[in-house]
Amino acid sequence: MIQLRGVSKQFGTRWAVRDLDLAVPRGEIFGLLGHNGAGKSTTIGMMLGQVWPTTGELRICTHDITRHRAQALHRVGAIFETPVFYDYLSGWKNLQILSHYTAPTPPERIAKIVDWVGLTGREHDKVSKYSHGMRTRLALAQALLPDPELLILDEPSDGLDPEGIHEMRLTIQRLQKELGLTILLSSHLLNEVEQLCTRIAVLNQGKKVFEGTLADAKQTKQWVRLKVGDFARAAASLLADQLITDTRDGSLVALADGVKTDALVRRLVALDIPVFEVAPEEETLESFYLTLMHDSRAEGRKLKAES
Amino acid sequence: MFFLQLRSELAKLFGKKRTYIGFGAFLLSQNVMLLAFRYSNWQNGTAKLLESNGYLATEFISALTVAVLMLIPQILLLMPLYVMLVGGDLVAKEAEDGTLRMILSRPISRFRLLFTKWLTGVIFAAILVVSLGAMALFFARCWFEWKGMFIFIPIPGGQTIFNVLSADEGLKYYALAHVLLAVNACTMLSLAFMFSCFNMKPAAATILALSFLFLSVVMEGMPFFEDWKEFALTHHFRSWIFVFAKPMPLAQIAESLCVLVGVNVTAFVIGATHFHMRDIKS
Repeated sequence: MIQLRGVSKQFGTRWAVRDLDLAVPRGEIFGLLGHNGAGKSTTIGMMLGQVWPTTGELRICTHDITRHRAQALHRVGAIFETPVFYDYLSGWKNLQILSHYTAPTPPERIAKIVDWVGLTGREHDKVSKYSHGMRTRLALAQALLPDPELLILDEPSDGLDPEGIHEMRLTIQRLQKELGLTILLSSHLLNEVEQLCTRIAVLNQGKKVFEGTLADAKQTKQWVRLKVGDFARAAASLLADQLITDTRDGSLVALADGVKTDALVRRLVALDIPVFEVAPEEETLESFYLTLMHDSRAEGRKLKAES
Repeated sequence: MFFLQLRSELAKLFGKKRTYIGFGAFLLSQNVMLLAFRYSNWQNGTAKLLESNGYLATEFISALTVAVLMLIPQILLLMPLYVMLVGGDLVAKEAEDGTLRMILSRPISRFRLLFTKWLTGVIFAAILVVSLGAMALFFARCWFEWKGMFIFIPIPGGQTIFNVLSADEGLKYYALAHVLLAVNACTMLSLAFMFSCFNMKPAAATILALSFLFLSVVMEGMPFFEDWKEFALTHHFRSWIFVFAKPMPLAQIAESLCVLVGVNVTAFVIGATHFHMRDIKS
């Protein structure tokens, strides 16, 4: 549904996105992660033909977005972080106006969508009277109007209360299950991404630093919680012996490929370091993300120092 | 589809309260001016001017004469301000609010979106001018009788338009003058619209367009630019006055019209070209 090949975007002298390859298959909920300024919104802007790529090729629903924008976006819906509408008009009028930029939409279709998002009874109120949650539902309704195959959600839970976030999560799941939509979800809420997405891509400083399934993300490193007499000495020795590849938080170590915890214990006992606890630590998306960011920052510093 | 999109743009524009500020300002200023005409020394001065030229003053101090006189300050001061206020809002306000991003996530081309927006602005400008003329005539008729029309308009550069017309003829020329005024209003709108297509605040687009107009007025008034005055936009905005001249300088009016149409097209093309190239970001 979405295919990006070698996509870059330069604003002045700054590269917002650099040499990005991305593929989102049909029917998936794909998460796009990254901190502020990582290039997520620029990437989404390029996918929707709002931002011109400096280099590269972007295909949406098999059409080149820069050359055949109308065909590419014909069955695409999008929601942006802060839902904005014409506040002085009713929700219904807003939907009518926005639908006219895609195709004439019969009132029955609008009524059906309004009902689907749970705005029935309030659709003729002015948007200025809507709460943030209702605006988000209206944003979802406008995205669903063109009967989309692909839904691009840029921080859809931004500003919602916990109940709203929960509701949005359920709605996204419903959209995929009931309507079979492909969804690209850009979010800061790692917990949401973890619960919703099947595949993720992580951007850092405009570059993709990871792409894969959620399971891949969690299995990149096998972390073990290690309670020992002298963690610093133990970690240094284990790193030197290539039994571990990384350490974190003053108590976690990442096992090297093929290494089991018994090898660690044997080595520590041989070094006369008391071992109190060795327990596997389940990787969460948050810990994976933080490690990834830490690693890519360290790599960036190393490259800078080398150059 | 195009008409649905145009209807949507019109609904957005006429759904906003600020769109009606211009209409309200015209209504208020016209009634203030009418009070001044009715109760000030103005009538005596006009009567003297007419009688010194051999005309019967009572036949020409009328609703039509007053309506034209009321138009001048409104066209010079209020019309540019309100037309450019709307023109500056057309694209820049949507970009500032974020609704433009939502529209451009749909399969509408940027050119088509801009064209419908510009056309909406043109419709607004035409409605504003027609309302201005109709309201001026209506309120003037409430206070003055329906008789012949007397025109005395001094133009910068020493020329004066002086004419007396029957009520029927006067009404015909009054309507024709409004067609030319509508072209002026469209040109003002196009200027503001052009700036609005650039990455700037709506107020900045309006101020830039107004500055362009003021610069044109100032340059036109400087003796140094006497030979270049035909390059000043405001010189061509004055063609509506020449409708009342005797004989009517048709070639001069046609030339001004061509220049104004050219400015409209140029402003739209510059705005559309830049808008097409720019990145739309939040």
